[in-house]
Amino acid sequence: MKVLVTGATTPLGVALVEHLVAQPWVEHVLAIAREPAGPFASSRVTYASCDLTRARTLHDLLWGPGRRLGIDTVIHGALHRSARDRGTRIRAENVGITRQLLAALERHPTIRRLVLRSGAEVYALRDTEPNLLDEDAPLELDPAAPQWVRDRVEADLTTCARMCSAGTAIAVARCAEVLAPASGSQLWDYLQTRVCLRPLGFDPMINLLSVADHARALALVARSSAVGVFNIPGADTLPLSRIVTLAGRLGVPLPGPLLHPLYQLRTWTIGLEFRYDLNLRRFHFGGVLDGTRAQQVLGYRPRHPIWPRPNGEPPGARGLPRAPAFARR
Amino acid sequence: MRAIASYPIHDEGHGYDVFGLHADAVRRAVRWGRPLYRRYFRVESSGIEHVPSSGAAILVPNHSGTLPIDGAMLWLDVVQRTGRVLRPIADRFVPRLPFVSTVFARTGVVSGTHTNVRRLLEVGELIVIFPEGVSGPAKPFRERYQLQKWRVGHAELAIRHRAPIIPVAIIGAEESWPVLFRIRAFHAFGAPYLPVPASLVPLPVQLHLHYGPPLELHRQYPVEAADDPDALAAAAAEVRAAVEALITRGLAARRGA
Repeated sequence: MKVLVTGATTPLGVALVEHLVAQPWVEHVLAIAREPAGPFASSRVTYASCDLTRARTLHDLLWGPGRRLGIDTVIHGALHRSARDRGTRIRAENVGITRQLLAALERHPTIRRLVLRSGAEVYALRDTEPNLLDEDAPLELDPAAPQWVRDRVEADLTTCARMCSAGTAIAVARCAEVLAPASGSQLWDYLQTRVCLRPLGFDPMINLLSVADHARALALVARSSAVGVFNIPGADTLPLSRIVTLAGRLGVPLPGPLLHPLYQLRTWTIGLEFRYDLNLRRFHFGGVLDGTRAQQVLGYRPRHPIWPRPNGEPPGARGLPRAPAFARR
Repeated sequence: MRAIASYPIHDEGHGYDVFGLHADAVRRAVRWGRPLYRRYFRVESSGIEHVPSSGAAILVPNHSGTLPIDGAMLWLDVVQRTGRVLRPIADRFVPRLPFVSTVFARTGVVSGTHTNVRRLLEVGELIVIFPEGVSGPAKPFRERYQLQKWRVGHAELAIRHRAPIIPVAIIGAEESWPVLFRIRAFHAFGAPYLPVPASLVPLPVQLHLHYGPPLELHRQYPVEAADDPDALAAAAAEVRAAVEALITRGLAARRGA
């Protein structure tokens, strides 16, 4: 299998490329990102620097190095990470590239499979919706939702709409939030200050995915020929208060209406990425991805917890990633 | 009363299940609820042997009271006498209630959506569904022990997931804390109404719980019947008749007949 990976220089992209290269069934990886050089040493990785938002650049990449290398699978995970940015350029990055890739898939001589890395943020979280989100759970189609969410829903739905195209095998992996720096994780940013405010009277269940499980899951989706949407949950399902404690932070519950202005103030003064309006419903009602379909079809089961388990399993055991280190502010 | 060392839960790795249930919270709830269970409501129950010791099953009782004290006493009875954590299926406004939603989640209450309930039955949990919904607690005192509008969801779940239904009659709760009237314009936190009870606190009426023999609807109906409205109506009527029979018997036993 020859795989093209977009967004290859992000922490998640690097882990994915390294995981793919370690697989015997992967012959070659074409890693794409905007940075001039990639951190890959393996001879089985070709790095190409390009701006995929330019249609011509993307076309030349797919019909140039892509065709020469005989790329048959694309794992598309290049989404704009900052939740604060907005505008047409951001939309081109989040939605435009996906559209171009889908259009190319129908004409390209070698590419037959596209895997879109989507996320749990596409689901609508409401008090009336289930705590456990399967692939049929309602999506966030509220026009008042922030662009960060709307773009992701549009990319996801656009991909789903093309799933029945003849001769192509398209899959969407809706991953739980990966708690890692520079990954677009809202929760990572939330945990960057010593005091973490949360809504008084609510302590929702949240599921988190480790970088290792994220890479493993996307590789499994890429290797399979299954068409459809797959939820990719992580190994850590725990209340928000427990996450704050495990991260070594002080959780302070405050009445909900106070949180939005306080976090806006934090953004103005410290300039962090966390947006309370994006997380308001999640911090009240939670939402855990149901990975039954991924388990049955792909054989995926999360293996690598972010934090050590209460039963004494140490961090780092079985090649687990170390518990995330949070910067002191 | 059974001594319980630990409650079996489907631990997702940090001591919680996906819905937020935690064994320590269950232990605390049993400890704090026991005085109410033993001394205030003096709960007595019969037929607990009908509740299976493992595997998915659905308890279906009558429902009443200003607040779900009947559900709380049923939960305490099942937890203490079987060692299984009963998973009550709550109305969808419950997750909006501050503090209550968290306490409920930690002790096993789950919001009544199709996906949530399906997951519970698939992993073999013991759940309780009140088919009367909010119309049970909302009924006037003169209609006590008269089952209200009886939904069919429990029958559908039993047939689809091949789970037995255990009918339950709760005697006493209907007199313990009746609703005087309802303020229908009150919808804070998504509540359907604000109940105004006849007394400030629930009256110390003795509660009797009667568990009936399991109704194995899945032996009478094929899986396809879960999508057949007529079959569901017939199956739900059978459950309703079983609960009504238990109520009649329970009231007669209370009168000493």
